[in-house]
Amino acid sequence: MTSHVADESLADLAEGGGSDAERAHVGACGPCSARVEDAGAALALARRADVPEPSPLYWEAMRRNVARRTAEEPRGPRWAWLVPVPIAAVLAVFALTAGRTQAPPTPPERMLAAWSALPPAEDDASLEVLAGVAATDADLANLDEGRGVGVFLAGLSDEEGRALVDSLRGAGQGGAS
Amino acid sequence: MSSPALAPPLGLAAVGAPPDGGAWPREAERQEIEACRRGEREAFDRLVERHQREVYRLCYRYVGNHEDADDLSQEVFLKAWRAIGRFRGESSIRTWLYRIAVNACLNFRALRRPATQELSASLADPVPGALAHAEGDEEARRVRAAVVRLPERQRATLILKVYHELTHEEVAGILGSTVGTVKANLFHALGNLRRLMAEEGK
Repeated sequence: MTSHVADESLADLAEGGGSDAERAHVGACGPCSARVEDAGAALALARRADVPEPSPLYWEAMRRNVARRTAEEPRGPRWAWLVPVPIAAVLAVFALTAGRTQAPPTPPERMLAAWSALPPAEDDASLEVLAGVAATDADLANLDEGRGVGVFLAGLSDEEGRALVDSLRGAGQGGAS
Repeated sequence: MSSPALAPPLGLAAVGAPPDGGAWPREAERQEIEACRRGEREAFDRLVERHQREVYRLCYRYVGNHEDADDLSQEVFLKAWRAIGRFRGESSIRTWLYRIAVNACLNFRALRRPATQELSASLADPVPGALAHAEGDEEARRVRAAVVRLPERQRATLILKVYHELTHEEVAGILGSTVGTVKANLFHALGNLRRLMAEEGK
């Protein structure tokens, strides 16, 4: 071994480790031998420095403090895995509803009134159905974004579809009369 | 010969575990950690009792006084309580606690000490601890003061390797470095320790 021993091997050598080649080199190289000796002396010096031992009562006090502080924690480790669950639930609900700007209208429970040539009364149930299937501003905005009329119609329920057909048919008959 | 099936549940006290980091049976340690993960505070209290001295000593060597070492030690166990659900058992619980402690010490120093402090600064004890008056060994005090003056990673390496007798691989895992870097840091830490001691002696 011709080059000097690398720094990362010197502490090993000071502790009695290192490879055979490194030990042979140190035995024959004054500078490396001195560095290993210095490292060994520093190691011995460091090992003589104990930490002052606190009062025996200190350890009990520390345990009490840690126990008190962990008891104040809002969640222990037992609950840590549950944290993502409500977050995931919220995200799932959001993902399901985010694309809908308006909830689909509730299907009417009452039977539709028969068509009449008379102006509709304010309590006419068919008005409610028409309001439900009428395109809102939000729907129009969606249409403008390329959803298309077909997509809009495809989103209607059977009842809404029948009501829309009836309304259109009625309007056509009214216009013809 | 003991069988794991016959081992008392959570029976660390029952198996005569030493209070100061002695070796517990692997299965007993695993059971104890599982109890901690289930949120059993009594099990965590036993874990604290078992490791508090080693954690405290590591922190003390890093900061050089009792008050900060006490604060840091408690913080280490608080962090451990919060994070034990994520402990995977890839290292021993002792090594895992050391990793938390070293991170706490590094953050502590970063917050409370200007980063511009030079290695050759005065070696006077910066924060005389409450127990300093009781330290009979003056040389030990001087060495501890010099250790506190070492650059961060050299100090952590020296403390873990020399005082806590971890392997190079364990130290590398805790510090997130390579074995070669750990060995080089240890050598430089020893050289700087001698230099600091010599400067103080002038």
